[in-house]
Amino acid sequence: MKTLVITERDGSDFRLGSRSAIGFAQSLPLSVVDTLCVADYRGENPTADSHAAVIAAAVRQCSYELVVAAATTYAKDVVGRAAGLCGGAMASDVIGHRFDGEQLLLERPMFAGAVTATVSLLGSPRFITVRASTYDPVDLSSADSLSSLDATTLRVDYSAVPAAQWKSVASRASQRPDVTEAKIVVSGGRAFKSSEDFERLVGGLADGLGGAAGSSRALVDAGITPNDLQVGQTGKIVAPDIYIALGISGAVQHLAGMKNSKTIIAVNTDPHAPIFSVADFGLVGDVYEVVPQLIAELNG
Amino acid sequence: MKILVTCKRVPDTDQKIRVKEDGSGIDDSNLAYVLNPFDAIAVEEALQIREEHDAGEEIRIVAVGVGIAEYEAELRTALAMGADRAILVENSNTMDPWAVANTIAAIVARESPDLVLMGKQAVDDDANQTGQFLAALLQWPQATFASKIEFGGLALQVARETDQGIEEIEVPLPAVVTADLRLNEPRYASLPSILKARKKEIEIIPYAELQLDISPQLDLLSMKSEISQRRCVMLEDVNSLMEIIRP
Amino acid sequence: MSKSIQTSFDVIVIGAGVAGLSTAMQLAKRGQSVVVLEREQLGNGSTGRAAGLLGQLRGTAESTRMLMDGVEIVLDLEKQADVEIYVQTGSLRIAETPERAEEIADLVTMGKSIGFDIEHLTQAEVAAKLPYMKTDDLLDACYCPTDGHLQPAELVSAYIKVGRKHGVQYHTNCAVTNVIVTGGKATGVETVVGEFHAPLIVNAAGPWSYLVAGLTDTVLPTAAICHHYLTTRPDDSIKIDRFSPAVRNRHHRLYTRPESDGLIVGMYGEEATEYDMESLPSDFDMSAMKARLDDILVATLVYNAGQRFPWITERTSMTITTGIMTFTPDGKPFCGKLPDIEGLFYGSGFCGHGIVQSPTIGVIMADLILEGETSYDIDAIEADRYFDEPEFQTRVDIKAAAYEMHSGYYGNVEGRKQ
Repeated sequence: MKTLVITERDGSDFRLGSRSAIGFAQSLPLSVVDTLCVADYRGENPTADSHAAVIAAAVRQCSYELVVAAATTYAKDVVGRAAGLCGGAMASDVIGHRFDGEQLLLERPMFAGAVTATVSLLGSPRFITVRASTYDPVDLSSADSLSSLDATTLRVDYSAVPAAQWKSVASRASQRPDVTEAKIVVSGGRAFKSSEDFERLVGGLADGLGGAAGSSRALVDAGITPNDLQVGQTGKIVAPDIYIALGISGAVQHLAGMKNSKTIIAVNTDPHAPIFSVADFGLVGDVYEVVPQLIAELNG
Repeated sequence: MKILVTCKRVPDTDQKIRVKEDGSGIDDSNLAYVLNPFDAIAVEEALQIREEHDAGEEIRIVAVGVGIAEYEAELRTALAMGADRAILVENSNTMDPWAVANTIAAIVARESPDLVLMGKQAVDDDANQTGQFLAALLQWPQATFASKIEFGGLALQVARETDQGIEEIEVPLPAVVTADLRLNEPRYASLPSILKARKKEIEIIPYAELQLDISPQLDLLSMKSEISQRRCVMLEDVNSLMEIIRP
Repeated sequence: MSKSIQTSFDVIVIGAGVAGLSTAMQLAKRGQSVVVLEREQLGNGSTGRAAGLLGQLRGTAESTRMLMDGVEIVLDLEKQADVEIYVQTGSLRIAETPERAEEIADLVTMGKSIGFDIEHLTQAEVAAKLPYMKTDDLLDACYCPTDGHLQPAELVSAYIKVGRKHGVQYHTNCAVTNVIVTGGKATGVETVVGEFHAPLIVNAAGPWSYLVAGLTDTVLPTAAICHHYLTTRPDDSIKIDRFSPAVRNRHHRLYTRPESDGLIVGMYGEEATEYDMESLPSDFDMSAMKARLDDILVATLVYNAGQRFPWITERTSMTITTGIMTFTPDGKPFCGKLPDIEGLFYGSGFCGHGIVQSPTIGVIMADLILEGETSYDIDAIEADRYFDEPEFQTRVDIKAAAYEMHSGYYGNVEGRKQ
């Protein structure tokens, strides 16, 4: 089965999520995998409209039967449109798969993760975005050794692409790992009153453990943390080895983003906070007292 | 100017969602259904665009739902908030995102809106596909996960929430924009608006009338509940916590 | 059920709302072994949705005394649990019609006669206390400086903390499915996790209390009525001080109090949505209740709120809290036992005033359960007052009466029989 994995880069390397997508693609029997990083060819004006046109051209001209990507905001935007250009057979945010004879069955979450649905795609070509945390990433050299599609060989009619204009992206350089890629995530919620407190306590503990910092929706809404830290149903989905939820009550929508973490630890002043129902370990306490002690212990 | 907003009827996901014994679907007896929160945000955005720019040229807002007859309740919500008209394409069969997108595209052909505003995802299937499919079918520019829209007459300046941070793009109209969480806070309908909405019309179009021949692309085979199996061990003090997380 | 869980107690309390938690705590302080069985999470029902306004001055001296004593109990709880429960903002009643002005005059006279701290205020004085409220139409107002509100979450955690200290055990996700009765005596309950035994059982199940009563074929005249209040988000242009007085504006059917730099405004409307608790799912979670964006009762609340606070419109940034109150035909709770089953006691039907009545109710319930009597005059709230009343035996009649009570709750002019 001719498979195209749409990849993203972090600097010159494939992102961890893309390497998980490659892992998924390669695990399918008889799949022959090419990669395509559209941004390598359309770096200028990287709109969904133009990137999707490239993917659609690749699918048609090279007869790919399956297109795979990690379920990032880029892929949801771009691969979604590409699927729409190619017949609409798409399953998003896949967290598992199995075969029933020849039929590929895909598992994906519904209702903020309260339900796992088993679906199959009926049309062709098929488009699948996978939740990166579910599939083991291939290592960098394996990823690099895969054949990559040379998009310059494609005939893309850019006149048919609407004239949207990409202007800017406000990325912050961070020394910390990406929240979707780190093995340890320290996440903060409503208990934190300011960006300074968040940075000092959540950031400080994350640094002490060599992990990433995450945030609940409440802090992003309040302007205390940026949106790319938000863990949840409509933010980032993470499944690190350790997820530490500090001052997070545990609304359904937040749980959807982290409940598959291997070990979940929660600290909250409210012993009845819903977060304790999905945690492995809990401590009833004030994060403003607990976290400085933890940071001091780690550093001292 | 005309803005089309899509309205999906979904269970309120703060409720406990139960799966039927045979796994064929959810047990919706006693479930409260609401307007998809992201679609409510789309409706609100349309209302705000109208409030800020409705001088001289009239901005009309049309709410569209695609599904079972009960969708009328959610379209009434959109009308009560301030949409001018509503259209229900009635279909009692389940429809996948491809079928829904094609249906909306047919309504777009009928209504010729300048802008389609939709929620970025529906909180029942969390698919996050229909807006992108629609934009592709129409060959219109798309701006997904919008957290801010500035309307400049012929084009929109849209801020999008992405994994890398806030991205700014400019999309010429007509366009498809999908709404993200922080785009706005949907209003509760005012008393006069609710009473006025009772007189507004919901046009019901049977799906067959559109003569769309769309094959299903996605087959939903079964569902199962995901219930946390974890039993939380409550720790005594900070030292116990330290022992667990110590690298 | 695990063998290590204790299943025999002196008292079983059904329901971990403020009524059940307060009663459990008082019983435990008197040496009883108590278990509280809660279908959901502790404090998750009506208690978890309440605004907690404390207006001590009621229609009678007796009911006023009960609330004043309650404040004393709360002050003591604050010390024991090291938590702030009572926020003494003072409260205002305002009148914009002659009938309401008479109502206020009566209230001031009554209050002064029992030594309660209450005084008339001029329009200017009201405006000074509440610069964000419309005051130019007021005919009269009265101010009670010792009123305020109880913070429900803190009150709940104090009841639990002190209760636990005296040995109360709490089981959550433990719905009661049956009451075990042998020869006219209650001996225990069946729950979703197994049986518990006790010779004394308290039904403090709030909106579900009539269903729990139904387990022994007992008629309890309570009904479930939906309630909403709005909480405005902080707005730099509207300064709302934490100690701004609470207000009762019965003409517009409103009550208000400050909350986290915003304002809570609730309404006892003429119309309300009723609930049949038996038709809700068994795992119904009241804390997940939400109002639809086009709910006409919410719109009415916002409209009425705007009449008194002109800056409140449907565009004001706010949250709507929705919950269920337990109403009774006469607006008073049922406290004590009924003639049909020995050992079974009732403490429910607080008509939206459970938080503030709970401290004293716990004492009264403990008195009735252990002594069979109490020093308080409880004629008005006795559980058996409608036991043989033919008017209140069917659900249809009970619901109709409770609904009418709710409808007139703020609508009727106090002290004047309609």
